[in-house]
Amino acid sequence: MTPPDSTPPLLQIRGLKMHFPIRQGMLFKRPKLCRAVDGVDLTVHHGETVGLVGESGCGKSTLGKCVVRLLEPTEGAIHFEGFNLAPMGCRQLKPHRRHIQMIFQDPVESLNARHSVGQILEEPFVIHRQGDREERKKKALALLDKVGLPAASYDRFPFEFSGGQRQRIGIARALALNPKLIICDEPVSALDVSIQSQVLNLLLDLQRDLGLTYVFIAHNLAVVKHISDRIAVMYLGRIVELAGADELYRNARHPYTRALISAIPEPNPRRERERIVLTGDVPSPINPPSGCPFHTRCPHVQDRCRVEVPQLRPAGPGHEVACHFDL
Amino acid sequence: MKFSLNPITAKKLRRFRQIRRGFVSFTILAVLIGLSLIAEVLVNSRALIVRFEGKWYFPTYGAIIPGRTFGLDYDYATNFRELQARLEKEPERGWVLMPPVPYDPIENCYPGEFFRPRAPSFAERHFLGTDQLNRDVLARVVYGFRNALIFAGCYIVLTYLIGVSLGCSMGYFGGRLDLFGQRLIEIWSQVPFFFVVIIVASIVSGLGGMNLGWLLGVVVLFSWTSITWYMRSVTYKEKARDYVHAAEVIGAGNTRIIFSHVLPNVISTLVTFAPFSVAAAISALTALDFLGYGLPPPTPSWGELLRQGTSNLSAPWIVASAFGALMLVLVLVTFIGEAVREAFDPKKFTIYR
Repeated sequence: MTPPDSTPPLLQIRGLKMHFPIRQGMLFKRPKLCRAVDGVDLTVHHGETVGLVGESGCGKSTLGKCVVRLLEPTEGAIHFEGFNLAPMGCRQLKPHRRHIQMIFQDPVESLNARHSVGQILEEPFVIHRQGDREERKKKALALLDKVGLPAASYDRFPFEFSGGQRQRIGIARALALNPKLIICDEPVSALDVSIQSQVLNLLLDLQRDLGLTYVFIAHNLAVVKHISDRIAVMYLGRIVELAGADELYRNARHPYTRALISAIPEPNPRRERERIVLTGDVPSPINPPSGCPFHTRCPHVQDRCRVEVPQLRPAGPGHEVACHFDL
Repeated sequence: MKFSLNPITAKKLRRFRQIRRGFVSFTILAVLIGLSLIAEVLVNSRALIVRFEGKWYFPTYGAIIPGRTFGLDYDYATNFRELQARLEKEPERGWVLMPPVPYDPIENCYPGEFFRPRAPSFAERHFLGTDQLNRDVLARVVYGFRNALIFAGCYIVLTYLIGVSLGCSMGYFGGRLDLFGQRLIEIWSQVPFFFVVIIVASIVSGLGGMNLGWLLGVVVLFSWTSITWYMRSVTYKEKARDYVHAAEVIGAGNTRIIFSHVLPNVISTLVTFAPFSVAAAISALTALDFLGYGLPPPTPSWGELLRQGTSNLSAPWIVASAFGALMLVLVLVTFIGEAVREAFDPKKFTIYR
């Protein structure tokens, strides 16, 4: 799905940085920064799904949390429907909250064990003062129906459900306020493989029916490919490659993306393929390498990479890559 | 909306009921507390029912009835034991029904006689004897228990109120409030509590007398600190969990998150501290009374009884009653606390981690 350029994008992230200060020492503090997200530009259009992939610790969840403003970004702008959410305070943010929702990774953690499913699903309406008691109940039951849970779940409590069902409750809660954008923070990685596809298909159905826009954060490339229109690959707080899903898999330009793709398990054991094995660990975001963040592990590293930070540059239609070279 | 227990809480209560020792202790203590609430009916120098010359009187509660009402030659409060003795001689005028223990905790039962502790006697209905001022020991034990309960109840409510709100806000808002709040509390908790109580007590008694309010205030002032540590850390922990984030994303404000999400998840573990706080409150009150810095005489209290008892060891019933009562209640409370802790232990209920 390539969106027409005439409509303004739904979400536009510009130069987003999220630095966490790290305290060290008692008296003579030399504040160090953990650069979890270090200058990200990303545009998300209406109705599309942008996948966000990368190793753990690359800042993809932090980016998601910045967008829903669970975190206050250090720098940069988050333009959503013409408003810059980044500098907003709690009060200002409230009317915008309903348009951006989040689905969390762990359905056990993300549901309050002391609230019944009914309470959980009605809370958004209570907070945003929508409807009276009966109306709210009706809406909650409709939500349960939408995510394929029986109406009897209304009076039950989260611990009475399985992981997949709980994730459905989480999805229902995210849908409650008719959001435009949903940040899915690894919504299936805590689920059994058999349940994963059910939940993914539910997400796809919902997107089709409700015209939702997703930012889909995951580390499972197969999952991301299944659901995404475009995929952004993150490494050490930066986006290193951005392309349409098929394009990225067929024609990866960044050595890191290539390594990631080569790591996807291949169901056919006879098929020969090149396996790129990266050596070393991801460098610490507290002490990021100079120049290209990937140069410490890159098989094609040159002197220029150690000095100069590569910017995202076009590398084909809808394809951007942050590498100095055309590999 | 009908009131229904959260199934998790219900499960914990069920577990608590299954722990025999704790549940039996709880039942006994509940009965004792219930009895102490209607102590006026059981231990009182006022009669329960008086039938006098065709009229009914129920003097237990309400204003005092002057002696002249019953044809006695005085206007002050009727001595119903005397009235009873008199009416037994002339049964045609009426009768008196006294409580099982017909004594008040603060009356000297043998006025005009030489003060000395009297041994327990069923005939005189001094079931636990009298103390050195001829006051009934059982009456003092019962009313002392009630005072201790009132003290412990208020103590718990106040310390929890301060401790929970401060600890919770430190854990939730963090930052400077947390940093400075913690340092202040650290300093505050180092103030030697007993000395301060003694100083305050001596000042206050000079000003017009210690009472339950003052004593409570001073004790609470120095004992809310320990709860803040606990509250701070659990709030800190809960705050970082995803369900709080989820509420935040929906648009819940701080008040809503604290009262509807964090506190309910934290309070249940706080319950496990309550029995031990009760025990602490009762011990503190008894200790202060024992040292003479507690409630002013003639308020019935266990500490005062203990003091009398230890200085009158030739009358062992005093010290034995006070000590027995104190020990019984503390043991019961501790058993309950142990059972509550076991039943509410979150580790048995968490599926994850």
